[in-house]
Amino acid sequence: MYTMGIDIGSASSKVVILKDGKDVVAAEVVQVGTGSSGPQRALEQAYKASGLTKEDISYTVATGYGRFAFTDADKQVSEISCHAKGIYFLVPTARTIIDIGGQDAKAIRLDDKGGIKQFFMNDKCAAGTGRFLEVMSRVLETTLDEMAELDEKATDTAPISSTCTVFAESEVISQLSNGESRNNIIKGVHLSVASRACGLAYRGGVEKDVVMTGGVAKNAGVVRAVAGVLKTDVIVAPNPQTTGALGAALFAYEAAQKK
Amino acid sequence: MSKVEAILSQLKDIAANPKKAMDDYKAETGKGAVGIMPLYAPEEMIHATGYLPMGIWGAQGKTISKARTYLPAFACSIMQQVMELQCEGAYDDLSAVLFSVPCDTLKCLSQKWKGTSPVIVFTHPQNRGLEAANQFLVTEYELVKKQLESILDVQITNVALENSIAIYNENRAVMREFVKVAADYPQVIDAVSRHAVFKARQFMLKEKHTELVKELIAEVKAMPVQPWDGKKVVVTGILLEPNELLEIFNEFKIAIVDDDLAQESRQIRVDVVNGEDGPLYRMARAWQQMYGCSVATDTKKGRGKMLINKTFQTGADAIIVAMMKFCDPEEWDYPVMYREFEEKGIKNLMIEVDQEVSSFEQVKTRLQSFVEML
Repeated sequence: MYTMGIDIGSASSKVVILKDGKDVVAAEVVQVGTGSSGPQRALEQAYKASGLTKEDISYTVATGYGRFAFTDADKQVSEISCHAKGIYFLVPTARTIIDIGGQDAKAIRLDDKGGIKQFFMNDKCAAGTGRFLEVMSRVLETTLDEMAELDEKATDTAPISSTCTVFAESEVISQLSNGESRNNIIKGVHLSVASRACGLAYRGGVEKDVVMTGGVAKNAGVVRAVAGVLKTDVIVAPNPQTTGALGAALFAYEAAQKK
Repeated sequence: MSKVEAILSQLKDIAANPKKAMDDYKAETGKGAVGIMPLYAPEEMIHATGYLPMGIWGAQGKTISKARTYLPAFACSIMQQVMELQCEGAYDDLSAVLFSVPCDTLKCLSQKWKGTSPVIVFTHPQNRGLEAANQFLVTEYELVKKQLESILDVQITNVALENSIAIYNENRAVMREFVKVAADYPQVIDAVSRHAVFKARQFMLKEKHTELVKELIAEVKAMPVQPWDGKKVVVTGILLEPNELLEIFNEFKIAIVDDDLAQESRQIRVDVVNGEDGPLYRMARAWQQMYGCSVATDTKKGRGKMLINKTFQTGADAIIVAMMKFCDPEEWDYPVMYREFEEKGIKNLMIEVDQEVSSFEQVKTRLQSFVEML
């Protein structure tokens, strides 16, 4: 039996196809999200990669910001539940999840059975999210992919506040005009994102293992910063951008079995 | 349209059109209205003048612009809206505004009212539990009374005040019964309707409101109680609106079985007791009986325990904290309550209430996730 999870985020679209609720036969990401061609392209890529067609899929669960806009889904499940499901499948020892996506950040606490004990989300603000990093990378004339590498070369951390993206952008520009090294500023930017996300995690309490997921988890600089703030090791989920879609595919498998 | 639907529709109309409610009252009685700023006021005193007491709790979805001159962006969301409306003259039809100052933002705002209505400011003593605090508040109420009499050119007699106290006590009792009925009949009184019944009481004479709510209760109680296949929650915070937010509660079948909202149940929690003391003294004592509120000093922090009790008493599945954006007193209470909820194993969720916001996708995700979690 094949089931599908589609995670339509603000900045990217992700599709996972599962065989019998355990084997990932496709995990595709397109870097544009809801309201764009992203969901359709991610679907086409997943069908192509798996050699399957729409008719082969027994059940589809949509999640993410654009979940209600995707009319082909059998069911919509929130991204918090899907991330929790996906992460627990991949890392059963996970008790705290930090998910930093394109426009929001979440901290989720799990119990030992993978049930959600508590969660906190950021509030309508780009600070501490992937969008924040995008804005900063533009000002710093670098790419998101290069930022982790440059962070590693930093000799110090330039202070960048975590309150507001617009203010932080001005701070980065001031630091650049004052001759601060770009690498140190990038490290400060990463710490700013980490502080914001860890603030959410603190609200619900932090318990090991801490797992990071979402697109920003691909940035090793932010992961190092989160580990530093929380003073604990941080596990990065395998293929962190697709854990929400994986969770959705797992929910789809459970629902298909009940049909 | 059934009787229940007709009453709810009438109350929803009043809740949605406070200006019309005030204009109708003026046309009917020849008297005006007196605004009441959050959170608590001796409303009975206004009622005794024959003027219509009107609650002032901001507005939804209005873009803040003019208020930025006077308030920082991180001032409480209700006060941003109130200031914006003041600047636009929305409250200038009020004959006076009664202004308590239990938090820093209210204290500062009371000193720079931008409308043309006269403002009567008074202070609630925070040394609650001392007899001196009662005496202090009586003196404050005497000053309020004197100013109201002077501005409205009406004598507030003890007889009128006692009559108003009785009317308010009855309304509070009926509303407490309504809360229980709404909990038993969530299919009939959904989250939007429940809020409308509470909100309408701010814009109409309490005796008329009581009459309608009594009728509503009788009609609803005549129906059979149906099993509820959704979730039940207790909500707490300053307020929980607008309807778009409450409709998400309805969509995910989240029934509000009790509340501790400042705009709703905190207003009906404490009666003015009967007794031989004068009406002002008894009204002052009611403030000392007020509990479980972020702006009423409570060194024992009993709010969390009160909410836990409400949860157990109502059989609620969880507590939802509606956090008013940038409300310091509510933010201070939250970590204390949160710890207590967690210790008791009570599931809980915090959602943010921002009156300027017109998009509800994020809160929808939170509520959906929460229902999935329960």
